[in-house]
Amino acid sequence: MNRRRAQATSKLIVMLVVGLVIGFGATYAYYASAPAGVTKTVTKTETTTKTVTAVGAAKEYTIGFTIPLTGELTAIGTNWKNTIEMAMEDLNEDVASYGLNVKFKAVVLDDKTTPEGALKNVQTLYQSGIKVIIGPAASAQVKAIKSFVDENHVVIISPSSTAPTLAIPDDYIFRTVGSDAIQARALATLAYEQGVRKVVVFHRDDEYGVAFGNFFKKYFEEMGGTAVDMKYAVGLPDYASEVAQLSAKVKEIGADGIVIITFDTDGANILSHAKDDPVLCSVRWFSAEGIHGTPELTKPEIVEFINKTGFYGTRPLFRENPIYKQFASRFEERYGIKPVVFTSNLYDAVQLAGWAILKAEEYDGAAIKEVVPEVAMRHYGASGWCILDEAGDKLMQDYAIWTVGSTPTGYDYVDVASYSGGTISWG
Amino acid sequence: MLTFLEFINAVWIGSVYFISAAGLTLSYRVTRILNFAYTNMITLGAYLAVILTLNGTGNLLVLIPIVFVAGSLLAIGMHYFVFSRLMSLKATPLMLMASSIGIWIFLKYVYYGIVGYLQRAWKVGLYQATPNLNLDWGLNAYGVELSGAFVASIALAAASILSLYLFLIKTRMGKALRAVADNPSLAEVSGIPSEKVMYVTWFIAGGLASLSGLMWALFSIVTPEVGDSLILEIFAVSVIGGLYSIPMTAFGAYVISGAENLLMPILHDTIGLEVSFRPFIAFFTLLVVILIKPPLGAAGALPYRFRLRRRER
Repeated sequence: MNRRRAQATSKLIVMLVVGLVIGFGATYAYYASAPAGVTKTVTKTETTTKTVTAVGAAKEYTIGFTIPLTGELTAIGTNWKNTIEMAMEDLNEDVASYGLNVKFKAVVLDDKTTPEGALKNVQTLYQSGIKVIIGPAASAQVKAIKSFVDENHVVIISPSSTAPTLAIPDDYIFRTVGSDAIQARALATLAYEQGVRKVVVFHRDDEYGVAFGNFFKKYFEEMGGTAVDMKYAVGLPDYASEVAQLSAKVKEIGADGIVIITFDTDGANILSHAKDDPVLCSVRWFSAEGIHGTPELTKPEIVEFINKTGFYGTRPLFRENPIYKQFASRFEERYGIKPVVFTSNLYDAVQLAGWAILKAEEYDGAAIKEVVPEVAMRHYGASGWCILDEAGDKLMQDYAIWTVGSTPTGYDYVDVASYSGGTISWG
Repeated sequence: MLTFLEFINAVWIGSVYFISAAGLTLSYRVTRILNFAYTNMITLGAYLAVILTLNGTGNLLVLIPIVFVAGSLLAIGMHYFVFSRLMSLKATPLMLMASSIGIWIFLKYVYYGIVGYLQRAWKVGLYQATPNLNLDWGLNAYGVELSGAFVASIALAAASILSLYLFLIKTRMGKALRAVADNPSLAEVSGIPSEKVMYVTWFIAGGLASLSGLMWALFSIVTPEVGDSLILEIFAVSVIGGLYSIPMTAFGAYVISGAENLLMPILHDTIGLEVSFRPFIAFFTLLVVILIKPPLGAAGALPYRFRLRRRER
């Protein structure tokens, strides 16, 4: 019996070793053939391919990413992955063109759009020695990682977290997008100028939605309107029942407008149910940026609804920005789809991270944190001026007013106006 | 005040829950495997509805059998490759359930991979999509307007349940299924081929799951997480049915859907309960129903003949 067991065990050990060897070999071979700067976790020093007089191995820095590749924001996360690929290549090209013998690598992790996923990724990246992480996407996730990164000195640059409640000075979190305090004012101005006076604010029950809703209500009531709050649970598969209750509420208070603050999937779901309800079709609709870019909204039935209700939304967009136009056309040419919301902020976040690491001269969280504001102040990128305020959030943020209309290529998102410093200019 | 839309939603969603929970209950009843990968079959049905109608020439009548068969094949595949092999090694039901969790996670990310690849290859947004079906033929009766999608879903649900009922009661194979569900050893001794019965069960359960995915696609938006987000409600409904009785499952489905769509607005209007409490209401209802009338199956209160069979194993 003993001999049989020993034989079986040794067979098992041999199989395990063979399996590990094959696994390592295959992974190494695969990643060695992958393009530079994308999800490489093999630590291999490379020499730059440019014929520069610098000799020896290039200095390597790693930037971590935690993005929602699966979960509620999966449609945005996968679009972001393309942006990261392009941004890392551009960063490495830029750095090489300045004659520096430096290479940046990206490690991209999926956080499933959950706060726990984001925290887990940040901890994992920190443990492998990464001190600069770009992401996460949602304000609820940023809130979850804040105490860990402040304690352990990890620099976080989020391209899309906009909750004003997270605008805290002197912490390790920077955001290359303007806080929703500004966007709430933009949306309130838009709604008021469009003539609605009584709105129902239908928003997500999370960090982002609640903060935005409160600020919108404050500004809208300052201007002389009235706003009634209605929040809905996040992460549910379907919102038919909530939409039905929204309809009842609109009828009850005699509202003439609805403001929705959503992400993309729930927003599309809400509109797909709202279009079937006569009460909801007879009021004006306004939206924040979450739903912008969703392909669902370009379907004919929804476009009809959008036109019927005079649907307008706001989204962060720097006015008249040639760098953004260049970025968008390169993106579309390379990947065949349009870049979605916040990709310009993500692109600039990658640039900021790279240049801040170089400026700090040592790959240390505290040192990098000190120089990020300086680097940002001098940077004009795809999202416009990147200068940050005292809380580490983007200081100058303009917004575009968008809707869905017909273009030569079918129904598509169009920007019809822009908001800057309190005024809206059409056309 | 309750609006007409809320009643329609309650019936519609209730039917979706009922069809999926019926498949799950049937599969558990016959095979004693609590299959978590059931969610993947639902998502498969939903995504097939989207993918097969991408160029806008979808016909619902053609779609239904394709979706059904696809789900059945997936379920049969699961059984053939995983469950039957484990069962031949005398795996306990708990191990089979754990292996189904593995399949669930594996298939979920396979779907993400496939959807991502198709999205890049076909340059069309697939992470949240709806099928392109021409269902403009609404019904207009007695001043009441019903959308084509609703009528189609309800008709599909009714037809499925009627077929299931006729199959289980009238046909020989259906009787064999019920025999194996009640007492597998006696069924084996009486000459009923239990392997074949299991495959037929997975055929039906997988098909029902896909059909419920199709119904969901008609109702709302399809994402790779569709099955997962429904699974809690479906398990809740199945538990109310005791994982045994299909009529009780129907009761559970409409009770839960009624709680979400009808009770919730009533509470919102009367005591001002926030709309974001909807998931709480659904599961609170589940708790209340279980306490008032404890169902059979799953964890306790099995009738005598089930208890005997458990000890045999």
